[in-house]
Amino acid sequence: MIATLLCIARDEWRYWRRSRLALSLLIIALILAIASVFVTHTSMQLEAEQRTHLQTLAQQKFADQPDRHPHRMVHYGHYVFRAPPPLSSLDPGIDPFTGTSVFLEGHRRNGATFSEQQQSSGLSWLGTLSPAFVMQLLTPLLLIVMGYGAMTREREAGTFDFLKVQGITPPYLIAGKGLALISAGLLVFSPFAIGAIWALINGAEGSATAMFLVSYVLYILIWSSLILLASTLSANNAASFSSLTCLWIVLCLVLPRIASNTATVVVASPGKLETDFAVLQELRKLGDGHNSNDPAFSALKSSLLAKYEVDKIEDLPVNFKGIVAQKSEAKLTKILNQFSEKQMQEAQDQANVARQFGWLSPAIAIQNASMKLAGTDLENYHRFLREAEAVRFSFVQSLNKLHAENVSYTDDANKYKDHETHHRAKVDAKNWQILDNFHFTPLAADQRISNSQLPLTQLLMLFLLCCGVTFFAGKRV
Amino acid sequence: MNWLAIKREAHFLLRKKQVVLILVAALALSLFAVWTGSKEVAQQHATIERLLKADAQDRQAVLEQQHDYGGVAYYSFHLTYSAPSPLAFASLGVRDVYPWKHRIRMLALEGQIHESDTENPELALAGRIDFAFVISVLAPFLLILLLHDLRASERAAGRLELLTISNASGAGLWLTRAMILSVTLGFALLLPFWIGAILHQVGWITGIGVTLLCLLYLGFWALLSYSVAKLPSPAPMLASILLGVWLITSYIVPAVGHVVIEKSITGPKGGDILMTQREAVNDAWDLPFSETFDPFVETHPEWENYTQMPSLFDWKWYYAFQQVGDQKAQALSEEYRRVAQEKYQLANLFAVRSPATALQRILSYWAQTDAEAAREYEQSVRNFHQSLREFYYPLLFKKPPFKREAIQQRPEFTPNRSTQTNASAG
Amino acid sequence: MSEIVIQADNLCVAVGSKKILNNVNFIAHKGDVLALLGGNGAGKSTTIKTFLGLIPPSLGSAQILGQAVHQNTQLVRQKVAYLPESVMLYGHLNAIENIRYFLSLGKKPTSEQVIHATLEKVALQPQAWQRPLGEYSKGMRQKTAIALALLREAPILFLDEPTSGLDPVAIDEFNQLVTQLSAQGVTIFMVTHDVYGACHVANRIGLLRDGEIVDMFNAPENGNIDTEAVHVAFAQGGRT
Repeated sequence: MIATLLCIARDEWRYWRRSRLALSLLIIALILAIASVFVTHTSMQLEAEQRTHLQTLAQQKFADQPDRHPHRMVHYGHYVFRAPPPLSSLDPGIDPFTGTSVFLEGHRRNGATFSEQQQSSGLSWLGTLSPAFVMQLLTPLLLIVMGYGAMTREREAGTFDFLKVQGITPPYLIAGKGLALISAGLLVFSPFAIGAIWALINGAEGSATAMFLVSYVLYILIWSSLILLASTLSANNAASFSSLTCLWIVLCLVLPRIASNTATVVVASPGKLETDFAVLQELRKLGDGHNSNDPAFSALKSSLLAKYEVDKIEDLPVNFKGIVAQKSEAKLTKILNQFSEKQMQEAQDQANVARQFGWLSPAIAIQNASMKLAGTDLENYHRFLREAEAVRFSFVQSLNKLHAENVSYTDDANKYKDHETHHRAKVDAKNWQILDNFHFTPLAADQRISNSQLPLTQLLMLFLLCCGVTFFAGKRV
Repeated sequence: MNWLAIKREAHFLLRKKQVVLILVAALALSLFAVWTGSKEVAQQHATIERLLKADAQDRQAVLEQQHDYGGVAYYSFHLTYSAPSPLAFASLGVRDVYPWKHRIRMLALEGQIHESDTENPELALAGRIDFAFVISVLAPFLLILLLHDLRASERAAGRLELLTISNASGAGLWLTRAMILSVTLGFALLLPFWIGAILHQVGWITGIGVTLLCLLYLGFWALLSYSVAKLPSPAPMLASILLGVWLITSYIVPAVGHVVIEKSITGPKGGDILMTQREAVNDAWDLPFSETFDPFVETHPEWENYTQMPSLFDWKWYYAFQQVGDQKAQALSEEYRRVAQEKYQLANLFAVRSPATALQRILSYWAQTDAEAAREYEQSVRNFHQSLREFYYPLLFKKPPFKREAIQQRPEFTPNRSTQTNASAG
Repeated sequence: MSEIVIQADNLCVAVGSKKILNNVNFIAHKGDVLALLGGNGAGKSTTIKTFLGLIPPSLGSAQILGQAVHQNTQLVRQKVAYLPESVMLYGHLNAIENIRYFLSLGKKPTSEQVIHATLEKVALQPQAWQRPLGEYSKGMRQKTAIALALLREAPILFLDEPTSGLDPVAIDEFNQLVTQLSAQGVTIFMVTHDVYGACHVANRIGLLRDGEIVDMFNAPENGNIDTEAVHVAFAQGGRT
């Protein structure tokens, strides 16, 4: 039985070898796959090195700052860079569309700046030549051109009935042809798999990488069975070919875009600017942290005076200005977080609407599964933003603590009076060693796998559906 | 070709299920694109209106709280924006990648202008369906589908010879069929655009220009499909050839061009601009005043005699080092923009080899939703920031007594050329 | 003798270096039924396609009413009607719609009554007229195509294996029609491998083998060609 299957598959390969079109397309696809893996790998590698370097540089510069008033350092700020995860060399995902660095400073939660897309030629409007693009979009098209005639060819040549009479049932024939088609798909997939091993060496987790590869294999299987299905149901080559290309354009080009249009129409997300107003309004209620005389802090003042049993703020053992800075930063951060969480939730909601389209299109499902497993999706980007915020809050508060404890209120209040008080209001430079090494890592592998449950289920369901329908179609012809 | 033949073939072709299906799909796609495009543009207009209102209120509130010009300048944000043009509904362009709204204040501009209030990156990655996408990418595909088997399907059905013999007008029959199919497809695709153009009050010239451009583009693909359809090969072979041309010109050429350009042109990293600017601004606090005022006076000689410092802090010094921070980052920033410009220009080399990209570029250029328009907007923000400085410097250096009425003369941001269309149009 | 309607004059057709027709000569006069007999690959279809202007001759000429076909293709096509071997008209149109469409292609608008009369003449059951052709049997499609050929009112009729795949009753009806048409002055050219059928209707038979006319039979005045003689010649041709 297996021998017959292999025989059918071998015969299909022989047909491809002799038809120049199929063979040359296969070679072109292979070259594209290899080139895309190589190009994307080297450029992501370079990106990773640059960003790590910039990260070290930023930390070093911060530590090298001279003696200063701590609040100057709050505004001097710090940078964090988003290091790309290893699997991003196969699927850069949203990396080019998001800022790669965030400037961290007091009282503000800045967005990520400088997305690559803004500095690009504008040629990548339909997608970049990433390995993911080659696998998700081009490979199905290749398989269509190679496989549209798998069954209709036999039918047109009249060999279909001949084979049936020979005792080869249609499901068997379909399985054999499917074997050939899948092997062609896997051939184009092989540079991708090698790229994954490369990523593994660069620190990608085994389990996530394995799932990553499995999801792509599932994708190839889905398309192979779709192609066989169309070829089984079509009356002739032409009908099979045109219905498959229509299917391709709908599933791979049209639906993803319809999904994102729908998402923006269904879930409106006001931009950061608009939420900034709301933030400002909340902040006005809090009082200006730069101004300790702001009436908003009078309660704090009296409670402190009571606690240390003194009458004047000058007599407090701590710098009241520093305390105000600390308190207001904490309250402010709470509000900022509230709003940015809300904004992230809106982005998330939009993405979730778009992701539901994965039930209809395997291309959307694989795109999501791939980004999630590679750690280049929206969740991981948000994780970066949250981590950056944590870094921001911790260093700003450390500086505010220095402000409260190492600068006296009197010196602080008179820091612009003359050079001497100005100097006394400074803190020694050795205090700037407060930054931890920052290196962004995406969610842990098992977390990423469980996050990708939805698209993986979509892929699996589509796979079972396609296989089932193809099998029944095969039984009925 | 005569009127009777056109009527006959139209009647004949429009009874074919496959043809009707493709035409309906074309109409539906174009309608969807125009509808969601209009929705998006309306949202952008609404956002601008809300922002304008909130922005004015906010600035008024600041003004009431402050007691000196330096403080007003420090706390006052100014909304800058570029409203979508009337044509934007048809070509949303890169407005989801480039920022089109900022809130700017008198501080160093380089620290503010790169802030991007961009949309959802995951949706930006998937891209949008807009009319430009439908016409430049999907329309050729639909044309190929309609025209590739003009002869091949008749041949496969065994009718080709009978048709050739029966037909009195020779090749005219094929031409008539191809024309009817292309024209009805063009009509199905353009109809929603025309409706949209009327609703959005697109100018006549622009509307006709877009129509002609689209017809030219469709004509190109129709001609190509028609010529390939003459080859005596089976339909799938012909479709493969045409699809290959379509895929290579629409997808592969731009993607390869992107890689080539990215590899061949490198410029400063955006992060470097921010770093330089930040170092300059923050170092200034600890440096002698002359370190700030010397380079400042170099570019603003009119304030040479006003640089004495009455205390260790004065707003004029604060804004002077903000200015100097920008000056130090200027070379980098200009280089950064020049490189972006150069990349975009160089991309034209590839765009001429990719009709779809060329069409998309022209449409988004007309709709002012391309990278060029984004850069023009950035320049208008820079100009506005400059005018703010010109307004505040006399107040900061000459120190007239604080009068809130003086602020009435403060420049207001006015959006660029035709994007000026009133926001209420949406 | 009446005028020469169809003439092959040293007709040669080659595809690449392969000769398909070699120095073929024959003549048909007005009202003649000329049948070209030959086995598979003898060059029958090529001959008919050359006369229809679908294949250009490499040497010599195919002439219709004294005009070389490949030089005056459109003019000649107005004079001929053609019945392909396997008739595939449009499956989504019914018989009348198909006929109307093809007639208007040839700029021959015809009234509904004439079409009905012709369909009756070729004996297509009236209840089938409004059904899409996709549901027809081969014989019914053949009848539709014959009706179409008749409606073109062409003085010359080219028939490619007209009786293959038809049942005996249909063949009989068809033969009667051919005889009737020839009596009306229509010149008929058919290629076939059906010896008996050809002898029954044709007054001139050419035997085609490997692209050459190897034998020619003419019917005697008011008589039929001797079937036996043709059969023997055909069989011998097949053997050698």
